[in-house]
Amino acid sequence: MIKLKDNYYRIKQMQQDADGAWFRIALLPDCEVYQGHFPGNPVCPGACNIEMLKECMQEAIGERVYIESIKQCRLTTMATPDTCPEVELKLEWKPAGEDRFSIVASLFDSNNLYMEYKGEMSV
Amino acid sequence: MTLPDIKQLIPQREPIMMVDQLDAVEGDMAKASLTIRADNYFIEEDGLLAEPGLIEHIAQSASAFAGYRAFLAGATVPPIGYIGEVKRFRCYRRPQAGETLHTIIHMGTEVEGITLLKGETRVADELVAETQMKIFMKKA
Repeated sequence: MIKLKDNYYRIKQMQQDADGAWFRIALLPDCEVYQGHFPGNPVCPGACNIEMLKECMQEAIGERVYIESIKQCRLTTMATPDTCPEVELKLEWKPAGEDRFSIVASLFDSNNLYMEYKGEMSV
Repeated sequence: MTLPDIKQLIPQREPIMMVDQLDAVEGDMAKASLTIRADNYFIEEDGLLAEPGLIEHIAQSASAFAGYRAFLAGATVPPIGYIGEVKRFRCYRRPQAGETLHTIIHMGTEVEGITLLKGETRVADELVAETQMKIFMKKA
């Protein structure tokens, strides 16, 4: 069963206000996903970074969310647990109709932007 | 048409192999499939596949297509592809364990190692997800 928290990443710090949240995150090099992505060449799967973003959104609003659509998600720099062991995730959301949020997020560290995300999630 | 084993076409291995086989290739179009096992990496607590599992499945379907082209060109190791962009992704329904995903990939032209593609995933005749994607291919 997929639960990336404490397997793929660990939240080291979190700050939150009414329509946004900020996380400092450690990417865990021992996660089993790196056995297959790729053997001998650990690279963070873009799909796992999107799932991590979803889990962090759930953490922030305290509700289960579903990815209905992604307008655009750019994976601008390749992330690996070796080259970016610690990253920041910034999430901003606003209501987009009933039980639905429009989300803008970015994953970055002081050197690089790894992911820019715009999409809608429902609760 | 006999197509090579999936491990000859994609570099991903367990626990994150999200394609069982490349089923057909015709010009710029390919079909790939995955039967979702109960122990699939992206299965959630409710027994359904997490949406990013569909994205990974479409990406690996495209990777298998690119791997097949590389195989025909004589490559002995599958090329590694990275998702550069996901655009206009829609998830209409999260499939469940036991269901088989059938995905059609329409591959666009490659410019400097970046390929634009479209993917549509169905369970039987029902469209469950679709997306556009940019894949960055690195020669193995």
